[in-house]
Amino acid sequence: MDGQCTTFDHTADVGLDARADSLEQLLTALADGLRRVIHQPDGVDPRQTRTLQLEADEIETLTVDLLWQLMDLIQVELFLIASVEVQVAQLSGACRLEARVAGEPYDAGRHVFNTEIKAVTYHLLQVRQDEQGVWRGRVILDL
Amino acid sequence: MAQRYQGPLEQLDENRWRIPRTSRPGMQVDGVIYASQQLIGDVLDGGGPLQVANVAMLPGIVGASLAMPDIHWGYGFCIGGVAATDVESGGVVCPGGVGYDINCGVRLLRSDIEADEVRPRIGELVDRLFEEIPAGVGVGGSLRLRRKELRRVLREGAPALLERELALPEDIERTESGGCLEDADPDAVSDNALARGADQCGTLGSGNHFVEVQLVEQVFDDEAARVMGLQQGRIAVMIHSGSRGLGHQVCQDHLRALQSTVRKLGYNLPDRQLVCAPASSEQGRRYLAAMRAAANFAWCNRQVLATLTRRTLESFFGQSSAALGLRQVYDVAHNIAKLETHEVDGRQRRLLVHRKGATRAFAPGHPELPELYRAVGQPVLIPGDMGRASYVLVGTEQAMAQTFGSTCHGAGRVLSRKAAVARAKSRRIAAELARQGIVARAHSRESLAEEQPAAYKDVDQVIDCVVSSGLSRKVARLRPLGVIKG
Repeated sequence: MDGQCTTFDHTADVGLDARADSLEQLLTALADGLRRVIHQPDGVDPRQTRTLQLEADEIETLTVDLLWQLMDLIQVELFLIASVEVQVAQLSGACRLEARVAGEPYDAGRHVFNTEIKAVTYHLLQVRQDEQGVWRGRVILDL
Repeated sequence: MAQRYQGPLEQLDENRWRIPRTSRPGMQVDGVIYASQQLIGDVLDGGGPLQVANVAMLPGIVGASLAMPDIHWGYGFCIGGVAATDVESGGVVCPGGVGYDINCGVRLLRSDIEADEVRPRIGELVDRLFEEIPAGVGVGGSLRLRRKELRRVLREGAPALLERELALPEDIERTESGGCLEDADPDAVSDNALARGADQCGTLGSGNHFVEVQLVEQVFDDEAARVMGLQQGRIAVMIHSGSRGLGHQVCQDHLRALQSTVRKLGYNLPDRQLVCAPASSEQGRRYLAAMRAAANFAWCNRQVLATLTRRTLESFFGQSSAALGLRQVYDVAHNIAKLETHEVDGRQRRLLVHRKGATRAFAPGHPELPELYRAVGQPVLIPGDMGRASYVLVGTEQAMAQTFGSTCHGAGRVLSRKAAVARAKSRRIAAELARQGIVARAHSRESLAEEQPAAYKDVDQVIDCVVSSGLSRKVARLRPLGVIKG
């Protein structure tokens, strides 16, 4: 199974719910869910690549860090995302990841924003592997 | 997502419901929710009461964990929540109790313009506002602040705009806290937050933020309305926005840093969004210094938005603001934590009052009110939804006694954004509003669907509840004529 991400309702906000066989796929699926909330995925070409390197003391915080950085990339740098590839290195006492983000600068003639996200929250945050070995992630976005 | 609240709940009186502190381990105080019989069903369905109980677990909370009748499920704190902590006894500051949009708030301008004069041209006026006021994702403002200028804005708030002729002394007097919280420290704000703020002063943002042209439809309190300059049949303009990306980033920086702090402090919190630290600790003070800087930025943002609005109206009507009678009524913050003195258990105490989607509502005579409003009480500005109404209220002694001088902040959502969009499918919200005589323009394709009137509780019911609870008095009801959204 590749990673899958769906959105779910949260009164003022929107949540991302993802499942995948690996942590990398899970983070990739959440990243894909995030970009689809902010902008239409159509017509965004992988013309340029950006690399993010992040570290945190546990995986849930690292997940928020990744999504926050991607949100900034889109909303602050106006770099729209075509795809994200994530590599995770789990070390004792810390987690690191490297994300390769492909996309292109916003072009008002071809790209459509859906909404602005204020934040990627810690509320009801969950990133874990279940008993069947499936990785599950839940993140709520403040709109 | 939110599940109906099934826990203990006792009705105290017509409009108050108590969650006893004994109902969940860790609660330091009771939870008290303000809701009428009409509203309580939606309140329970929305799941907010569980969050009221969670907030009651914050170290150093005093009185009760309170929720106003516009309560709905938030992240960590419910929206409509009020929590006061005793700073001198280890009480905490909780960034989640302020939220990402630090000092999100509302400003109201009054005018002498007759609504009948505007109605035939309202579409044209809204188009003009839509062109002049920057809004939507990634749209910068006309005021680009260099790093040194931005730092000054963060330290000094709206008064820093006086010499740029973007503010009038009267605007500053008629703004909560004079548009500046003391002890704001730009050094406590990260480079990333500063970078996000550099071009966002004077931008509306998206979501539920708006500029709305309104008709003063009904006046309930002649004296308070006279003092505020609100006259039936005249036009007012309401502005709703906050601290933009700068505030969001300040909140995130401190929430992230506190994730490990709470483990070290041994706090057992039911939600990671409720991370906190003693307000008097190094980390607590640093967050407060940064939050105050972001709050000052928000006041500057609304100040510039008000100036853009004034200039647009001046050019549209070909008259000066003075000739149009365009003057600020007031500006309130509804996402903030402030040090205030309140009586608890018969003793005056210095408290940090968190208002997360709640409005300060100080009573007549309060020394922090501008002289103009000392006799009538603090103006409280309550945006409703874009199809029904907004209100101007004033604060009361009852609010001082029961809710640390606080009241509601809006109508409160009942539909999630996704559900609202689904309900709007194949409907044209703009056309529906137009049939009611309301012109709406939005930058994002889903904004109007998400913000449609049915997504909110009936603001009249929410206002009736805070009025019959004695937390506020009605001054005027304002009806939307035209609105721009991000």
